[in-house]
Amino acid sequence: MTTTIEAARPDSRFAAPVLECRNIGKEFPGVVALSDVSLSIRPGEIHAFLGQNGAGKSTLVKVLTGVYEADRGEILVEGRPVQFRDPRDAEANGIAIVHQDQPLVAQLDVTRNVFLGREITRAGGVLDLTAMRAKTADALRKVGATFDADTLVAELSVAQRELAAIAAALVRKPHILILDEPTASLSDNEAELLFGIVRGLRDAGVTIIYISHYLDEVLDLVDRVTVLRDGKLVGTMDVGDTSRAGIVQMMVGRDIEQLYPKEAIPIGEPLLEVRGLVQGHMLRGVDLDVRRGEIFGIAGLMGAGRTELALSLIGALPRSAGTVTLGGRQSNPASPRAAKQQGFALIPEDRRHEGLVTDMTVRENLTLPELSRFSRVGIIRFRSERAAATSLVERLRIQPPNLNQLTRNLSGGNQQKIVIGRWLAGDAEVFLFDEPTTGVDVGSKVEIYKQMVELARRGAAVIFISSDFEEIAGMSDRIAVMHKGRINKLFQPGEATSETLLYWASGSGEGVNPDADTKVSLADDADSQMPSGTAVASAAEAAPPSVWARWGTIGGMVVVLALITILAPQFLSLNNIFDVLKQGSVLAFIALGLTVVLIAGGFDMSAGAVSQFTTNLAAGTMIAGMGSAAAIGLGALVGLLAGAINAALVLVFGMPAFVATLGAMFVAMGATLLYNGGQALTLSNQPGFFFIGQGYVGPVPFVFMLLLIATGVLHFVLKHTRLGLRMYAVGQNLVAAELRGIGRARYATASFMIGGLVLGLAGVVLASYAYGASALATGIDFLISALAAAFLGSTFNRAGELNVIGTVIAALFLASLSNGLILIGISSQALPGIQGLVLILSIALGVIHKRGIGQVLIF
Amino acid sequence: MSNSSISKSQASSASAIGFLRDYGAILGMIVVLGIFWYLKPAFLTAGNIENVFRQSAIVMIMALGLTIVMKMRGVDLSIAQTADAAGLIAAMLIIAGYPVWMAFAIPLLFGLVVGLVNAALMAYVGVPAIIGTLGMMFVIRSGELMATNGAEPQILFTLPRGVTRNFLWLGQRDFGPFAALIVLAIVVFLIVFIIMRYTRFARYAKAVGSNVRAAFLAGIDIRMTFGSGFVIAGVLAALAGVALVSRTGIAMPRGAEPFLLDAFAAAYLGTLASRQGEMSITGTLVGALFIGFLSNGLTLLGLGAPYRYALNGGFILLAMAIGALKRKT
Repeated sequence: MTTTIEAARPDSRFAAPVLECRNIGKEFPGVVALSDVSLSIRPGEIHAFLGQNGAGKSTLVKVLTGVYEADRGEILVEGRPVQFRDPRDAEANGIAIVHQDQPLVAQLDVTRNVFLGREITRAGGVLDLTAMRAKTADALRKVGATFDADTLVAELSVAQRELAAIAAALVRKPHILILDEPTASLSDNEAELLFGIVRGLRDAGVTIIYISHYLDEVLDLVDRVTVLRDGKLVGTMDVGDTSRAGIVQMMVGRDIEQLYPKEAIPIGEPLLEVRGLVQGHMLRGVDLDVRRGEIFGIAGLMGAGRTELALSLIGALPRSAGTVTLGGRQSNPASPRAAKQQGFALIPEDRRHEGLVTDMTVRENLTLPELSRFSRVGIIRFRSERAAATSLVERLRIQPPNLNQLTRNLSGGNQQKIVIGRWLAGDAEVFLFDEPTTGVDVGSKVEIYKQMVELARRGAAVIFISSDFEEIAGMSDRIAVMHKGRINKLFQPGEATSETLLYWASGSGEGVNPDADTKVSLADDADSQMPSGTAVASAAEAAPPSVWARWGTIGGMVVVLALITILAPQFLSLNNIFDVLKQGSVLAFIALGLTVVLIAGGFDMSAGAVSQFTTNLAAGTMIAGMGSAAAIGLGALVGLLAGAINAALVLVFGMPAFVATLGAMFVAMGATLLYNGGQALTLSNQPGFFFIGQGYVGPVPFVFMLLLIATGVLHFVLKHTRLGLRMYAVGQNLVAAELRGIGRARYATASFMIGGLVLGLAGVVLASYAYGASALATGIDFLISALAAAFLGSTFNRAGELNVIGTVIAALFLASLSNGLILIGISSQALPGIQGLVLILSIALGVIHKRGIGQVLIF
Repeated sequence: MSNSSISKSQASSASAIGFLRDYGAILGMIVVLGIFWYLKPAFLTAGNIENVFRQSAIVMIMALGLTIVMKMRGVDLSIAQTADAAGLIAAMLIIAGYPVWMAFAIPLLFGLVVGLVNAALMAYVGVPAIIGTLGMMFVIRSGELMATNGAEPQILFTLPRGVTRNFLWLGQRDFGPFAALIVLAIVVFLIVFIIMRYTRFARYAKAVGSNVRAAFLAGIDIRMTFGSGFVIAGVLAALAGVALVSRTGIAMPRGAEPFLLDAFAAAYLGTLASRQGEMSITGTLVGALFIGFLSNGLTLLGLGAPYRYALNGGFILLAMAIGALKRKT
């Protein structure tokens, strides 16, 4: 990786820039994110981008790595103008990035994650795992990682994921490595290790762009700094020529003097007391006292734990330790609803995704949390609701004053005023304002400040969280500064300035905890109690099942089979076993096809119906005397076609997979009935064709051998080729895949078509096994059996991911279950129900710890 | 439609396109019905229309529950099976000589229980609704098969009139000048319409459907709200099942299953009636009526189940494609 860099460090300041930006401009609707930014990076230096939240650092980095295209200006790499259309263009030019939140595919191992998007392959797209593993191990050694290249990413800690992400950047042999907030989730010790690695890379000749909020680490680490503010370049300088205070001055700047409508309000008795609050690894012991009438500022940079503090106060995040009392009473709300009843009100950080319901009108949003005040026996009293909303609109000066406008179309300031206004109708006592003024115009800002003062005057405790240090200094009484999950400084009223706040927030002073954070928590324990809903695909995608779930299902299956054997010993006779294998194989084929579609994040309601259609076609072809080859060929072709149609509906029309395949299912069922005219198509005297489903090679059913071959082929394709790897990646973490330049369309289409092919062939096998096609529309029966097999199979895997081997084992288990129940004398009529229960249970085991609700996000 | 064709005569074609976008689908439905009328004038006789209304009533009752669930981004695949089992229970109770009120109350209770179990699974355990309700559908089916000893039909119309008259009144007789079944459908529609327009539940449901995270942080009991949808769907499905058996006088195990398709088609076709392509209660009513006329027309033309399946599936896809285009423009 290092051999290609010839520039030696001492000369670097005179060398030609390795990367240059000229007059870069980038706008988003309504926001100028970057304007006229020009800078040059010297070879072999560590160059920091500094700036407050919203200064444009992230946008600049995304432009440099091809995630965004700049509206204006040009980028030069080693003097050549370049155009980056996607991240792979940037990689091809030697620029690699380690993203802030380490977007990795949790269910894949480190090797596959590291090489995703840049796989080493042999002929035919077959992954060269040996070479990839060796290089991954090499890269991991370079970054000082102690874990193995075969470890699943899901099993890594946050710090280890960071190392894996850096390793992934290193194998791309970058000339320029961009690190975006690499220490945001690391403890001090881990960060120290990371700096060593970064210096080592620099000494090996890699140019490094380092983005951070934490000034101290930057000053120790980097050679030059570039400061951005409000999308503009403030300046670039050698770190030796500047000081901490100078940089702070540049970052904060001298904005036009803002008038803060702060008023002196008599401070009342203490209302909220927080003692030793711990939340995962984001809050590491927070103590607070907030009084009535006080605006208590919490200053902190992104990742300091401010939002986690707010969410754990209102019960939206589980607390790990600590006590909270509100007005002398213990407060440990189980949900925001309970917190609301105790008197908490949250104005969340991300107003579009967490605050507003943008599909609802101004009136509906304004009254949402306190709706019970405007209703009687569950019926909304529209008149009083409208009156309340009208008075809020006037009080907050929401423009336009139209109650029935959808909030989606309002400006940021008006949206934020609505989110605040929602709580004003109630009698909340503790108001948590989390970054209330980001992306808000000046007029609305003043309005928001005035509401905070008004609430304080009413005797409420106002907690004001912000990373805009000027406003927090201007509006707050006391101010606590948070850094890495702790409060490291408490300012008394009037003491703080934006400079001192930034100084403390970026990690200086004696408040920094000296003792090492040895406790490294797993990433998923910080998961919110209530993320958005759970898609079907992500049900299987989620964090790996607990050991209990994994071995529990296998143990349960063994127990069931053992019970059957005890009650009906003939169950284990060789004849019966081969019988079961024969019966189970047909179902397993359908389940295989469905699994392939599910793996890439699709869903296929039409799986069973398509198979049944090709069963009929195959039977018809045989009756017409065209022979087995024609039947097989037709089945394969129709299956492929069905997959292609499904893919087109989903990708071209943007239809949710559920609806598209539901429609396709009914079309396929109709086509089947049209074709067979509602009659069974019975075959006789077709020994060659029947051999597929009914023949034996020695004692072994031929269809079972076919199944093993098909499973082997699919397993190989999915696990050992580039195509399969990318299908998994797209299905499990689309964001991560796209950041590696892997688009969804191609791999989703591939999965629909491969799945369709398997389903089509499964239909042919069924025709042979059943001596023709039955007249019943059994498509949906096949579907549930196949779903049960696929999801049950996913619980065997250590990552809890869908996989063809698990699917086949589960399908065969379901077949032996049905066989066994009949042997015992239990009616086969119970079987669908048992399959249904198996399906529900195998999913429930995987999702119950996530505490979500079962919304379907695929339509 | 390509951009160039729009730019030629921008103003007039843009408004024409706008008109087509808003009302094209409704016009399309009317055209389809017009074709049936042209081919079979009997299609639009009063007697046939009443017949269609009765048929649509059952689809609509089922589809309304489904619509409520789907507006919250859930789905309930168990409704048809619930209806099936509820009808079966009603028929078995009548045959076993239980009083008529029990033949109505116990199936509804059954629907309530199914809905509660669904609610627990989806809203409290977090099982994805497609999986959970599909599983529930099969559990119910097993129960039915075992109760009827392998799908023996429960025939009411061969029983003495005295036994069945009161039960069959709902599906076959009149309430005042109107068919009782149509009156029931109107009452159910009005109740659901009022619930989904004037109650707190409706507001919460809308919030859960459009932004569950924001609803949660605003202190709404999202689990209760989401779960309630399944309870409503279960009860309405059971009601539809009883009404179906009362209309036909026979409970065929698995006989109500095709209604699942009809209910989905009605709900999705209903999205055509809204400007944003959203599901709505009135839209579902329109959709259910159209589905009723469609299958009736196909039957009159001598085209059976295969065409019904294929056309319904095709209409679902068409409705979604039009919805996608609406949102794009």
